[in-house]
Amino acid sequence: MDRRSFLRALGKGFVGASGIFLCPSGVAWGKSGFDYALEGQNLISAKRFAEARDVLKEAVRLDPKSDWAHGLLGRACYGLGQRAEAVSAFREAVRLNPNDTYSRMMIEIITQKPIDRLDKPVKPLTPLEKAAKAEEEAMLGQLRSDGGLAYQVKRVVIDAGHGGFDPGAVGPTGLKEKDVVLDLAQRVNQKISAAGTIKSFLTRTGDYYIPLSDRTVIANQYQADLFVSIHINANENRNAHGCETYYCSEKASSNEAARVADFENAVLKYDEPFKKTPGYINVEEILFNFEQRLYWEESGNFAGTFQDHFEQVLPFKSRGVHSANFFVLRRAKMPSILLETGFISNHDEEAKLKEAAFREEIAVAVVKGLIHGRA
Amino acid sequence: MDVHDLVFQGADYHYKGQLDEAVAKFQAAVKLDPKNEYARNQLGILYAKKERFNEAFGEFQKVVNIDGRNTYALLWLGILSLKQGDLDQGFEKFHRIVEIDPSNADAYYFLGAIYNFRHNTVKGMEYLKKARDADSDEPDTHYRLAQAFHNLDMTQNALLEYERTLALKSSHTKAINGIGWIYYNRGDQDAAITEWKKTLKVNSKDRDAIFNLAKAYNDSAWEAMERGERRKAVSYWKKTVGVDPKNKAALSYLKKYEAP
Repeated sequence: MDRRSFLRALGKGFVGASGIFLCPSGVAWGKSGFDYALEGQNLISAKRFAEARDVLKEAVRLDPKSDWAHGLLGRACYGLGQRAEAVSAFREAVRLNPNDTYSRMMIEIITQKPIDRLDKPVKPLTPLEKAAKAEEEAMLGQLRSDGGLAYQVKRVVIDAGHGGFDPGAVGPTGLKEKDVVLDLAQRVNQKISAAGTIKSFLTRTGDYYIPLSDRTVIANQYQADLFVSIHINANENRNAHGCETYYCSEKASSNEAARVADFENAVLKYDEPFKKTPGYINVEEILFNFEQRLYWEESGNFAGTFQDHFEQVLPFKSRGVHSANFFVLRRAKMPSILLETGFISNHDEEAKLKEAAFREEIAVAVVKGLIHGRA
Repeated sequence: MDVHDLVFQGADYHYKGQLDEAVAKFQAAVKLDPKNEYARNQLGILYAKKERFNEAFGEFQKVVNIDGRNTYALLWLGILSLKQGDLDQGFEKFHRIVEIDPSNADAYYFLGAIYNFRHNTVKGMEYLKKARDADSDEPDTHYRLAQAFHNLDMTQNALLEYERTLALKSSHTKAINGIGWIYYNRGDQDAAITEWKKTLKVNSKDRDAIFNLAKAYNDSAWEAMERGERRKAVSYWKKTVGVDPKNKAALSYLKKYEAP
C-alpha cells in the first residue's frame, strides 16, 4: 500500500483514531507490506537503520509498487552509509512516483560524488549479442588508435560536381565542367585507393545527375571522415583565373562568399534538429552544436592545407580560402570542403584543364592536401 | 527557516518548473550555509536553464573549490566548456572525473562523444563501452556507441547498439536511420527502405530519412535503367518525388523518360 492508498484507507475508516490498523470484517489478518513499512519508518525515526532496512526489504518484497516503502528503504540504507543501495531504492521510488521530491532530491545529493556500483544480473546472450561478441573478438586485435584528439581521416568521399543534364560551367571552346570534375574525381579516387591507408568513395562514377542532397547523403552513408567536392569555377569576366577553396562556417569570410551562400540557401529551409524549450537544458543540443563547430573548424584547416598544396603544385593563381554558411555543406556530418580548381571560363585555364597531364597534377595536389591535412 | 527546509523547498520548486522561486530558495540556503554543495549545484543548473551561463559556471566552480571530488559540478563545468567551444577544458574536466570515479558513466559518455567527433572512433568506442557498462539505461550512450562501431565497420555491434537504443527510446530516429544504412550497405535495399519509412512515421519531416529514401529510389531507378527497364525506373523516380517533391534529379528524369 502506498501513501495515497493509505490515505484512502483512512477515509474509509480502516484506520482507528489511535493509528491502529483496523481489519475490516471478512479480510484475513496478516502482516502486510504496509505494516512493515510503518515499522521501518518508526525504526528510522529511532535511528535503528539496520533493523529498518531489513523490515523495509520485506515491505518492498510484499508490496513492490509502494513508492513510500522504497523511499523509506532508501533512507534506511543512506543511514547505514550504503549509498549505492540507497540510490537504487530512491530511484525505484521516483520511478513509481515521479512527484516524490524527497527521493529525487536524495538521488541528486548522493550522486554528486562517486558511489559504488551495484552488480547487475547477468542475462543469457541473444543471437545478435552472440554475433556481436564474435565480431568484437575478431576485430579488436586489428584496431589501433594513437589516442590523440587530432582529427582522423580514414574514409573520404570525393564528389564530382554536376553531371547528366547539368553540365556545370562550360568553357569558351565547349569544355564541360561535369566531364573535367568526373575525371579529376576518378583520378583522385584511384590514387587514394592505391595508397591504401584511406578508403575512398565517389558520389558518381558516370555522367548522370545527382541532386545536392544525395551527395552529402552518400558521405553519411559511408560514415566518411571528410567530404571533398570538386568543381571548376566560371565567371562572366573571362580574365578571372586561379583556384580557391570553400568551406562551411557560421560566418561568411567575405561579402561575396555571403552572397553566394545566401543565393544557394534561398530555396532551402534549415533543419531545426532541436526545438528550444524555455527552462530546459538540452545536453544533446550542446553536443550537436559543439560537433558542428568542430567540423567547421576542421573544414577550415583542411581548406587551408588543400589551398597550400594548390599554390605549391599548380601554375594557377591562388585565390585563397573562403567560407560561408552553405546549406549543402551543413548537412554533411563531417568536415567538408569545396575545391574550385581553376576557371573554365578563362581561355588559358580551359586549355590547361583539357590536358590529361595537367589534370594529373591537380589530382596529385588534391591527394597531397588530403594526406597532409589528416592526422 | 532551516537550511534543509530551504533546500527541500528549492528542489520542489525546481521539479515543478518554478525556476525563479527555486533560485530564491537556494540563494537563501547558500546564504545560511555557503558550503552547501547541493544548493550551489542546483543554483548552477538553474542559472544554466535561465541562460545565465557565467553565473552557472561560477556556482559549479565554487562547488569544486569546496570539494574537488564533487563530480556533478565537474561534469557541468565540462559541459559548459563544450558549450563555449572549449574542447581542452571540457576534455580535462571529464578526464578528471573518471580519475576520481572510474565508473562515472556520464564522463565516459562525453569523452566517447568527443573522440567520436574527432573521428577517432577506436577511442570513442572504448569510452562509450565504459559508459554503457557503467549505466546501460541511456539511449544516447548506445546510439553513439553504435555510431563508433558503424564507423569501424563492426556492423553486428552497431546493429545491436542501435537496437538497444530503440529498446530504450523507440522514437530515436537517428538510430532507425543508422540501421537503414547497415541494411542498405549490405545490399538489402527493401529492409533499409522499411527502416527509413519507420522514421517518417515518427517524424514525417525527418530530412535524413527523406533524403535517404530519395537516394535509395534514385539508385534503384538508375539500376533499372541500366537493365533497360525504363518503366520500372520511372516508377522509382515517382517514388522519389513522393518523398522529396523537389528532387531535381527525379523530376528531370521523369520529364525525360515518362513520356510514352
